[in-house]
Amino acid sequence: MKDADVSRQIQQMIRFIRQEAEEKANEISVAAEEEFNIEKLQLLEAEKRKIRQEYERKAKQIDVRRKIEYSTQLNAARIKVLQAQDDAMGSMKDAAKKGLLRVSNDKKVYKKLLKDMIVQGLLRLREPSVLLRCRESDRKLVESLIEEAKKEYSEKASMQSPKISLDDRVYLPPPPKNGAVDSHEPYCSGGVVLASEDGKIVLENTLDARLDVIFRQKLPEACKEAPVRLNNITAI
Amino acid sequence: MASNRGQGGIQQLLAAEQEAQRIVNAAKNEKLARLKQAKEEAEKEIAEYRAQLEAEFQKKVSDSTGDSGANVKRLEQETEEKIHHLKTEAARISDDVVAMLLKYVTSVKN
Repeated sequence: MKDADVSRQIQQMIRFIRQEAEEKANEISVAAEEEFNIEKLQLLEAEKRKIRQEYERKAKQIDVRRKIEYSTQLNAARIKVLQAQDDAMGSMKDAAKKGLLRVSNDKKVYKKLLKDMIVQGLLRLREPSVLLRCRESDRKLVESLIEEAKKEYSEKASMQSPKISLDDRVYLPPPPKNGAVDSHEPYCSGGVVLASEDGKIVLENTLDARLDVIFRQKLPEACKEAPVRLNNITAI
Repeated sequence: MASNRGQGGIQQLLAAEQEAQRIVNAAKNEKLARLKQAKEEAEKEIAEYRAQLEAEFQKKVSDSTGDSGANVKRLEQETEEKIHHLKTEAARISDDVVAMLLKYVTSVKN
């Protein structure tokens, strides 16, 4: 083999080696660029999703907090209105309670009213024997009305005259002191409490009890139609 | 002579192999650097994205604070109006209602 041939072969091999290396390097470069893009996009996408979720969660928290806050305030506002409503109703009831004092102080009116309330109680109970309790200050008045009430009851109910026992040991509370209807002292503005002989049926026909019943039943209606219905009162 | 000629050729081939290896290694290193750069660029863009969302979020916060303030004001105003109307109406009908209540209390149906 000639030296020139050998030399040429070696140079050819060297060129081949270099070419292979450059091709491989080129492949690596291309792969690097691809992987660069893939890696970057993957990282971006994953992190962006996390961040987006984080801020969506924060935004939701704000919305929820805001809704809760508004709901709380709305509720407080409603309670405030209801309280004002209750206060207004309370004022009217207090005024009515004070009015009850004038009722029992009007002797003529109160006498008839008391008799009517006793008769009403008897009619509701329809018992042959009844225990009656009243205020101590009303005792004499009640005693003077019992026979008349019994008679009226007999006529209306077509029943035998009942036996009425006036409780002389236990009385209803006295009238409110100094007209203080808002004190915590028990008081009775007038009227009677009737009970069956065995004590199982009790009918409270006091002015205060009547006011409570009417207040609950009639007040909503009364507030709506007060000016008109005033002349069309039907009794309870 | 023949031995000497072969030795020179081998040396050249070895050098070529080393150069080839260097070329490939350089490409590999560039690839690693590129991947690292991918991570760095991604992190940079992520930081920008986060900053953008944070800005939008803060805007939403301040907007909603303003909204809440306005809502509270309106709610308070509506409440005061309702209460005022309530008191006015209560005052208007109070005497009639009290008179009605008393009339009911003192009217006995038998």
